[in-house]
Amino acid sequence: MSMKNFLAIALGILSAIGGFVDIGDLVFNTQAGATFGFQLLWVVVVGVVGIIVYSEMCGRVAAVAKRPVFDLVRERAGFGAGLSTLIASQLVNLLTCAAEIGGVAICLQLLSGLPYRLLIPLAVVALAVACWVLRFEWIERVFGYLGLGLLVFAVAAIKLHPDWGSVAHGFVPGHHTGGSLLVYLYFVVGLLGAAMTPYEVYFYSSGAVEDGWGLQELGLNKVTSMIGYGLGGFLSFSLMIVAGVLFLPQKIDPQFLGTPPLAAADTLGQVGLLLALVGILFAVGGAAIETSFSGAYNTAQFFGWRWGKKERPAAASRFTLTWVVIFALALLVVMTGYDPVKLTEYSVIFSVVALPLTYLPILLVANDRTYMGSNVNGRLANVLGVLYFIVIIAIAVAAIPLLIVTNGGQG
Amino acid sequence: MSKQAEVDIALGILDHQLVDSNGINCGKVDDLELTGLDTDSPEVVEILVGGNAWRTRGLLGRLASRLAGDAVHVPWSEVESVSSVVKLKRPASELRLDRGDPRWSRLVGKVPGS
Repeated sequence: MSMKNFLAIALGILSAIGGFVDIGDLVFNTQAGATFGFQLLWVVVVGVVGIIVYSEMCGRVAAVAKRPVFDLVRERAGFGAGLSTLIASQLVNLLTCAAEIGGVAICLQLLSGLPYRLLIPLAVVALAVACWVLRFEWIERVFGYLGLGLLVFAVAAIKLHPDWGSVAHGFVPGHHTGGSLLVYLYFVVGLLGAAMTPYEVYFYSSGAVEDGWGLQELGLNKVTSMIGYGLGGFLSFSLMIVAGVLFLPQKIDPQFLGTPPLAAADTLGQVGLLLALVGILFAVGGAAIETSFSGAYNTAQFFGWRWGKKERPAAASRFTLTWVVIFALALLVVMTGYDPVKLTEYSVIFSVVALPLTYLPILLVANDRTYMGSNVNGRLANVLGVLYFIVIIAIAVAAIPLLIVTNGGQG
Repeated sequence: MSKQAEVDIALGILDHQLVDSNGINCGKVDDLELTGLDTDSPEVVEILVGGNAWRTRGLLGRLASRLAGDAVHVPWSEVESVSSVVKLKRPASELRLDRGDPRWSRLVGKVPGS
């Protein structure tokens, strides 16, 4: 492998790590840690393997057949079911985008001291300008690399000297203590949903088509999805461990987004706080862009429009207007003053419901030789793909009842 | 794949991406017009794109078609090839498949850098 290729892969991995965590992971991992300590770490592993399996699959389909996810949804589900999936995914994208924007505004507020309501429109304008001005790979890089500030939580987790025995124990599912079974299950569903959010596969596969992936990128696809998302999972572990050590004993319920950065400040001082805030700001800001773009990708791919950052904005005008409108609607949602943490919880739980119709077409097409030739799923991809599809259906059915019964994990 | 090859039209053509001779996306195969269904060799005559082509596509399709205009009819003879996309022989503008983006591009074009 040449030095240049190695560098490209390393950079891809770095931005995948930085881009892994979004507001859903932040909220659910810290709340799970504050409620159940390390006992839910195993769920993060299950979720991370799930997103690896399906993003590898849709990256491979994008590289071989050049078809992004919503092309497949339309082709396999047809017009009616495809349109239902589109509408559901758009609602989830919008809600998620709003939650991420709320997160950006809170970070800016903590950094600047300016009023939250003023910072919301500023955040949206800044994100929209970044989308307009930056090329696709630079959007990925800027937000991915600066999102690496989140690594401060990994350092904090180690410096807090958790009881590593109980941390290891958390990777094995079993009896739980500290809350009711229903609350425990609510967090299982939420953590899986946060790790496997549908917009990640929409964005990943459309991004692969944008980057012009071909057969020679199949290796890059494997490495980015496995190592990038795999290491990204370590950030989720760190968040849960930090919350388990600091918040659980003191019964702190991190219902405010400013709470996790305080954990970094507690162990690493001012620098820790600053790195945590910058990390969250860019991780969450990047996710806001990914959700608004996913909305535009999905709509354009469903109706067969021109799409992509590679097109001039005026040439692909319907695509451009769609992501602008999603930002504008998300702005309205956040401006209502509704709590971003609550928005996040709803967006993650509703996204779980939209998962099956997103993942099934990927699984079907990744097995179709007319699209994939010799690059169809191997046995491992199929065993895991089917297994995860069953898991997804189970959590999709359980998600909303659990949200209602547990009052959003409050018990 | 040549046009003569065996293709499952429900799985291999319907709902697929249309791409014009310049490689530009120009809609989906929303419906197909067939003839000779009562004979041994039915044939695809036309591809229907957009608007009221959706009315045959279930309840949501009927609703969506009410909000949209007329479908564009593309004769099957305009099809160059069928693979994971349906490739056309001519540019979208010559087949009246270019009406969507230009309608909005004047608005988007007002922003610098567009």
